[in-house]
Amino acid sequence: MRWRFRRHKLAIVGSIVVIFFYTVVLFADFLAYAPPTESEAQRSLLAPQGIHWVDHGRIDPYVYGFTGRRDPLTLKRVYTLDPTKKISLRIFAHGFPYRLFGLIPTDRHLIGVVGARTEDTLFVLGTDEQGRDLWSRLMYATRTSLIIGLAGVTIALFLGVLLGGISGFYGGGVDTAIQRVIEILRSIPTIPLWLGLAAALPNDWTIGQVYFAITLIISLIGWTELARVVRGRFLSLREEEFVMAAELAGSSQVRIILSHMVPSFLSHIIAATTLALPAMIVSETSLSFLGLGLRPPAVSWGVLLQQAQNVQALAISPWLLIPAIPVITVILAFNFTGDGLRDAADPYGH
Amino acid sequence: MLAYLSRRVVLALLTVGAISVLSFVIIRLPPGDYISSYIASVSMSGGFVSEQEVQVLRREYGLDKPVYVQYLRWMGMVVQGRFGVSLEYRRPVSEVIGDRLWLTMVVAIAAVVLTWALALPIGIYSAVRQYSLGDYIATFVGFIGLAVPSFMLALVLMYLGFKYFNANIGGLFSGEFDLAPWSLAKVWDLAKHLPLPTLILALAGTAQLIRIMRANLLDELSKPYVVTARARGLSERRVILKYPVRVALNPFASTIGYLLPYVVSGSIIVSLVLGLPTVGPLLLRALVAQDMFLAGTIVLLLGVLTVVGTFLSDLMLLWIDPRIRLEGTR
Amino acid sequence: MPSIAQSWLLSEDGKSATIYLRKGHKWSDGAPFTADDFVFWYEDIYLNTDIQPVPNPDFMVNGKSGVLRKINDTTVRFEFPEPNYLFLDILAGSTAMGGGMAQQGYEDRTMGAYRPAHYIKQFHPKYVGKDEADRKAKAAGFPSWVAYIKNRWDWRLNPDLPMLTPWKTATPINTPTWVLERNPYFYEVDTAGNQLPYLDRIVMTLAENLEVLNLRAIAGEYDLQERHTAMPKIPVFLENRDKVGYNLALDPALNGCDAVLQTNQAYDGDPEIVAWLHTADFRRALSMGIDRDQLNETFWLGLGTPGSVAPNESLPYSPGPEWRNKWATLDLAQANGLLDKVGLSKKDADGYRLRTDGKGRLRLEIATAAGSFINHTQISEMVKEQWKKIGIQGDVKEFERSLHFTRMRSNEQQIAVWANDGSEVLYLFPRHALPVDPVEAFLGKPIADWYASKGTAGKAPKDPELLRALDLFRSANGKKTEERYKIAQEIWKILVDQVYSIGTVGQSPAVMGVRVMSRKLGNMASRQINAQHCRTPGSSQPSTYYFKG
Repeated sequence: MRWRFRRHKLAIVGSIVVIFFYTVVLFADFLAYAPPTESEAQRSLLAPQGIHWVDHGRIDPYVYGFTGRRDPLTLKRVYTLDPTKKISLRIFAHGFPYRLFGLIPTDRHLIGVVGARTEDTLFVLGTDEQGRDLWSRLMYATRTSLIIGLAGVTIALFLGVLLGGISGFYGGGVDTAIQRVIEILRSIPTIPLWLGLAAALPNDWTIGQVYFAITLIISLIGWTELARVVRGRFLSLREEEFVMAAELAGSSQVRIILSHMVPSFLSHIIAATTLALPAMIVSETSLSFLGLGLRPPAVSWGVLLQQAQNVQALAISPWLLIPAIPVITVILAFNFTGDGLRDAADPYGH
Repeated sequence: MLAYLSRRVVLALLTVGAISVLSFVIIRLPPGDYISSYIASVSMSGGFVSEQEVQVLRREYGLDKPVYVQYLRWMGMVVQGRFGVSLEYRRPVSEVIGDRLWLTMVVAIAAVVLTWALALPIGIYSAVRQYSLGDYIATFVGFIGLAVPSFMLALVLMYLGFKYFNANIGGLFSGEFDLAPWSLAKVWDLAKHLPLPTLILALAGTAQLIRIMRANLLDELSKPYVVTARARGLSERRVILKYPVRVALNPFASTIGYLLPYVVSGSIIVSLVLGLPTVGPLLLRALVAQDMFLAGTIVLLLGVLTVVGTFLSDLMLLWIDPRIRLEGTR
Repeated sequence: MPSIAQSWLLSEDGKSATIYLRKGHKWSDGAPFTADDFVFWYEDIYLNTDIQPVPNPDFMVNGKSGVLRKINDTTVRFEFPEPNYLFLDILAGSTAMGGGMAQQGYEDRTMGAYRPAHYIKQFHPKYVGKDEADRKAKAAGFPSWVAYIKNRWDWRLNPDLPMLTPWKTATPINTPTWVLERNPYFYEVDTAGNQLPYLDRIVMTLAENLEVLNLRAIAGEYDLQERHTAMPKIPVFLENRDKVGYNLALDPALNGCDAVLQTNQAYDGDPEIVAWLHTADFRRALSMGIDRDQLNETFWLGLGTPGSVAPNESLPYSPGPEWRNKWATLDLAQANGLLDKVGLSKKDADGYRLRTDGKGRLRLEIATAAGSFINHTQISEMVKEQWKKIGIQGDVKEFERSLHFTRMRSNEQQIAVWANDGSEVLYLFPRHALPVDPVEAFLGKPIADWYASKGTAGKAPKDPELLRALDLFRSANGKKTEERYKIAQEIWKILVDQVYSIGTVGQSPAVMGVRVMSRKLGNMASRQINAQHCRTPGSSQPSTYYFKG
């Protein structure tokens, strides 16, 4: 299986990218160098800063200081660089305090500056309307969105395997009932379903609770596809000789399922899960676009993209669209990984 | 066969019934009702609604009754072929949906056709040349549509169209044709507006179809008859196109049922961004304003479409490929 | 209303207002417009409890109803049991009595003081019998004659409805394109005697989406657009105006603030929060913890006026320029001092102030509505960041618009954000400044219930100063204009000094004040009044707009 997976080169690249992104999830605070909500009008809509790498003939990255004002004629924010003010960059610099993995208190960040507050001087990807650093927000958004995806898939996986398994293993009336439910759920357009469920959330919930509920809503719709896959595998495995043999040998049903059937289609489940994850991520961004998903002050990919979803962002501050790049990358990566896994699990199969 | 068909019809009807209940529940799920959103909009425009007037309005619209009574009343109308009056538009629901339904169909069908036109060749190519550079490139291109959030793609393309091509902005008609009766010129105007939404919608569904096509074809290509045909010295082109592609197309038919409603549902966001006069934005507005008859009718309509689509595609499968066992007779 | 009257007269005792109509004034179908159209509205609509279940406060004084009387064919008189000097303002403003059919003749509205009797009678049971009226309604697909008659006088839906306005509906608003056509009998002519309006048709297209609308405006597809063209887009409009050929005008509004943080003075949830919301120095500290220049620069492009909730100084209601900045400038030292003094001196490790009941950090909920003209949520987020410096934790929560109102009606909000537009004309539209109108009372719905019911329902305000403001407001009833102005100034002084509502930035073009107009159009004002009671574009005489050669 591993050998077959290796043949799918896109899948290999994809899985490396996925691993990379989940590393970002783990180290989001470390990679960010400014608190994601720190705003300042005097640096609103600042374009990404150019980093100068070489100073006096040796590698010593630095950025220039700047001053900003609003142009009275165009009413745009304009910034002028101050060539006399060079601000050197350092790695593993001190910055705002946080807890690494939520446990270890520290103030080290991947990058920082010398002789000033990093929050006031460094804007690798520019700033948004409120003058918040886009790079740092992107790090936190990556964490939120990928965790939502993972959590959603876990719930969907649980529901899918459970109901799909029951459906496929017992067959008959139970199967028909579950298949009807799936058909009904799939016949209802997803948007009203989201809209209805999201709007029904109690309004005194905290962001954390809403966060969890959104995950749940997304997975409520996502499980049907997984259930279908699992059921299909169960149906075909039920006829296999080794299951029959085990049954005749008097193994309990649970034992049969766990020790004989599950391992034989585990790879399929992994593949199906990998393919379900990007759908969850897309759902999260779409929900935020509709104003139903996570809302600011939470920071997620959906929230960042929604803020870029207007004419002025395209015309004046196109860098606000940068968050689309990681979204696209990770969705592609998951898809290719999933395809590779599926090819490997069952090269010709459904 | 007949027994199977009647069984399917009964099941389909039951499903539609369940969808109608569920859609009504979903619509009534958020707190408040149409009147509360009406009050909000009147307040926004500086108006005044007294508590007594609110009660009168609730009675007038039947919103003072329990939800199940509202549902039964609505169903009573639907069975008679009436869908009620839209609370927000103050016109019969059928009129409000009217033209939008056909325009939605036009957009959806155009998108489906384009999806197929993109997915089939890519799918065949990447199955035949599995793991070649071409496979990777084709797959990559096919998947871009899946990965780029459609709302973003829509806005960016619309903006670029304005900035560099002086293209029409959003909608399906130019201003002068909005009101005009149907004519050749109006159809042409529609055709000029179609490519953008079609492309965006089609790109979103392409990846899924590439995947199915590729898997099906790979499956067929390993069958003995293909090996035999190759051994007989038939041209590669003939070997592939004559039978395997055809057989691989069969499962495709089963996706038709879901494809149309999927595109309609998926088109909501794109239609919203591009300002298309389709049912999508209408549904969204109706849901937000809690215009329950309008929203209910649209959701029901889409649900019925799916059920009918699934039913039709099952029949089609049965007809194309008699090997498929009759699920219901088991 | 002032435009359809030739003249008017308020009696010396303020108990009656007489309106003189023009002889020969005609509806758009050529039928004469007379006092009978007022009488029809009064007797058959306003007094019909099926249509109008309760009297409207705009037609009352001190809770007592007025009456409408026909004097002769061109004269009507509104009479009140007590002096009602405000009534002329009501007739002139954007109110239930004064809005006319343009404002009161759509959706389920019933007011507006007149209706085309000759047309509407055919749907009214008094004239055709209840069975016939119901039959007509059923035939048209409406549940009852009441629903149908409301539909028939909905000028935006019914092209057959006779109108007095310069244009009337030709294709209804509930279709993708709303078309208005000239009213051939419109009463205005220009100085050369030409019939107004100059423009024959107005076509309004439905944009399903605001970005589409703005992009079309940027591309010059509209000849005139002045709503939903938001401030953050101004630079884009400016960038494209010469290329496409339109002008951009900004119409600053007269109200004090586009994003008011309204503290709920009747909140009855968490007792600790209740206590703080009732503490004047606490509210003042919150206000002084806001850096309004930052907000102005970020969200108003620096074009707004920072300050309190007080209205524009040019209005007779204004308490004077010194009240613009009272308790409304950034002063962290004073704010922190006040908070320490009122008993919030203990802080947690992150520098946030602790509750006095030992239950951890003090957290204030700031509720905003999604989809407001200016982004209240983002503004509140920035305020929340600024409040960190005074050790106050704000929790910003965004709600769907109707939910925002539902929460207000069930008295759930602690601090709610809304604009105070309209309340610059305090007596006609007090609801954004004082809790007097149960329909919308972000300062406390129970207080508004109490005020509106004269103490028989709801809850009296605990705060003596707020009580004084409400008493002053009630005392203005029936007072003459000059006295009313003085009282209004006094009320604004209380409101600004007590900071029940925390002002941020206002007197800006944020709400309906960004106007994009084609250079082909003539007679376009470079600045027009933009206020609730003097709405755009009506405030710059659209009947005189024309297309240049």
